[in-house]
Amino acid sequence: MAAAADRLSQVAAHLKANGKARLLEKHPDDVVVTTALRTAITKGGKGGFKDTAGADLLYGAFKNLIERSGIDPSLVEDIAVGNVLAPGGGATEFRAAALAAGFSEGTAVKALNRQCSSGLQACVDIANAIKAGMIEVGIGAGVESMSTQYGPQAVTEFSELLENHKKAAECKVPMGVLSEQMAKDRHISREDQDKFAVDSYAKAKAAQKQGLFDEEIAPLTVKWTDPKTDEEKEITVSMDDGVREVTTESIAKIRPAFAKDGTIHAGNASQISDGAAAVLLMKRSTAERLGQKILGKYVAASVVGVPPLLMGIGPWKAIPVALEKAGITKDDVDIYEINEAFASQCLWCANELAIPQEKINPKGGAIAFGHPLGCTGARQVSTLLYELRRRGQKLGVTSMCVGTGMGMAAVWVSE
Amino acid sequence: MIEFRTQGFNPYATKYSPFFDSRLAVSAGANFGLVGNGRLYILNLTANGIQVEKYFETQDCLFDTAWSEQHENQILTAGGDGSIKLFDIGVGEFPVAGWQEHGREVFSVHWGLVDKSRFLSNSWDGTVKIWAPERKESLMTLPVHSCVYSAQFSPHHPDIVTCVSRDSHLRVYDLRTKASAQNHMTLAIPIHAPPKVPAPGYGQGSVGPTECLTHDWNKYRDSVLATAGVDSVIRTFDLRSPAGPVNLLTGHEYAVRKVSWSPHLSDVLLSASYDMSCRVWTDGSNVEKGGNGAGFGREIGRMDAHTEFAMGVDWCLFGAEGWCTTCAWDERVLVWDVREFMRPT
Repeated sequence: MAAAADRLSQVAAHLKANGKARLLEKHPDDVVVTTALRTAITKGGKGGFKDTAGADLLYGAFKNLIERSGIDPSLVEDIAVGNVLAPGGGATEFRAAALAAGFSEGTAVKALNRQCSSGLQACVDIANAIKAGMIEVGIGAGVESMSTQYGPQAVTEFSELLENHKKAAECKVPMGVLSEQMAKDRHISREDQDKFAVDSYAKAKAAQKQGLFDEEIAPLTVKWTDPKTDEEKEITVSMDDGVREVTTESIAKIRPAFAKDGTIHAGNASQISDGAAAVLLMKRSTAERLGQKILGKYVAASVVGVPPLLMGIGPWKAIPVALEKAGITKDDVDIYEINEAFASQCLWCANELAIPQEKINPKGGAIAFGHPLGCTGARQVSTLLYELRRRGQKLGVTSMCVGTGMGMAAVWVSE
Repeated sequence: MIEFRTQGFNPYATKYSPFFDSRLAVSAGANFGLVGNGRLYILNLTANGIQVEKYFETQDCLFDTAWSEQHENQILTAGGDGSIKLFDIGVGEFPVAGWQEHGREVFSVHWGLVDKSRFLSNSWDGTVKIWAPERKESLMTLPVHSCVYSAQFSPHHPDIVTCVSRDSHLRVYDLRTKASAQNHMTLAIPIHAPPKVPAPGYGQGSVGPTECLTHDWNKYRDSVLATAGVDSVIRTFDLRSPAGPVNLLTGHEYAVRKVSWSPHLSDVLLSASYDMSCRVWTDGSNVEKGGNGAGFGREIGRMDAHTEFAMGVDWCLFGAEGWCTTCAWDERVLVWDVREFMRPT
């Protein structure tokens, strides 16, 4: 009978679907997203969340997630929170935020930091823990309060050993400076960068007008001090306040930020912002058992390393790896959410990968509404899945470059 | 369309006799070939439909069959138990010769089309073996190191052998070369490589290796082959520039189990798939019909009468250019004219 079983498995292997068709199949052990949401993203130092602590943003995201999903909080076994700037990674206050938001003491919380991909890494970690059977229900989240925690104190001084090692010391070069050099070396003109940035603003503005962010944004009521009157008020923040009207003419006037003859400036780089995002993940069988509505599924992710001074090329290297793991080609993908750390690097990656412009960040990106470092990776999941659903499309990729020279990408399916 | 039922047996292969336009052979297994007996049917096309002339019983499923090119009454079978048998229609109920060297299922057999004194077999044990019917041991063993699903002699040259396997490669062997380290292998083409000319709607990227289940030599162009397998795409290759496929023919929804080039038209292919359909394709090389080769292949007809996995196809060598036979796990063998199933153009 062993021979019969062998033959059967051989024939069964012939019937495995491939490529896109395989991803669209639904299996009980798929890791699915049942709720994905984010706070608004607001301008660092002056926006709606300028006086709100990072952990309070996270608390707001958690509270909304529990409410919107209807999940029994005690069923959530682990929460991973991506964050870059908080001292100690934010581990203490994030656990506290979870408890305050209504999770039971039985829900574990960890903070993690893979720079700008921390939010994605948090989602991937939770998805992997579910796949491996370590947990059944988990949350991948990300938060950053750049208003309160951005600054030199976020990086430890390098030792002499590291300073004297060439490659190691390169990890310290500010991202603006190295991206400026990369733009020069790879001949990415200011005109092209500016055009990309103007498009990002225009797309975000249009999306905002059409209400395309409404589903993903959870409004938060916070305290806010009016800088003019010093009066403390309570405001409800439900819109990305970095989005504004920008034209080719207005952006052309901005002076380069990192070099006199440079091409990168405040208008074609990501904004400094505050925000939080959270993604509820579980097996499809669990979601069905709990009556959770499925928004999409997680398929595969990749993480790669690139030279520290070329950190901007991260998505270019990470995306093909994730696509290969998922068994699809770049043309199968309907939407790419590639973080706009700088117009120069995002544009370069898209051009090198020959991704058509209309597939990239259809609702704009970090240039238009900001890049709260640890939040972005988790934020992209809701931005992507709601847009795929609205368009009736299926396959999406989220990706970003990572400071010190890395890249991450993940493949998602909308359902 | 004429039909024959192989009741209790699920057919794996159907082959027209190279000697008679009215004779067919069908190899089959009980219980979908998973466990149980095998049966080789010898069928005749008559005015009263398809009649059984004779059948031979075996102890294990027969995954394939090949008519002798030397003797009109002799026929080979590929056995699930690793055996190869030669039956003679005029001689009793037992094989007239048998060979047992393969360690696992023999998945196909093929008789030399130029040097008709040899045949070959391939097996899930990862080898291709070359045989002479009068000798007890194989003449040569070509190690492939991956489950081999299909192997053939070139119809243009006596010493060129090709095979496709689980590892997504098309291998070409030249038996004239020294055995040396390569064991006569002269080319190993990755089937999943991106096409040389981007195919519309398929993209340029590779989706990675998938099992290749079948291949066939073009009968007119001596460097052209077609392959197909689990990724449901039929590819054509030109050995003169083996870097990647020339054409990607997409349309089947599940794995393609068998492809066969027309003996009459140099650009036409027939395929059978787990999606239960049998489809007719052009590789776009027919200049008179507006084709110019690369990237222009397309489906030109399809037949949906089978109700289970379609397993075998073969063209009739004789008479008009469209007659063929197909078989499927629905316990049916169909004989039909592809011209009745062409898409309106």
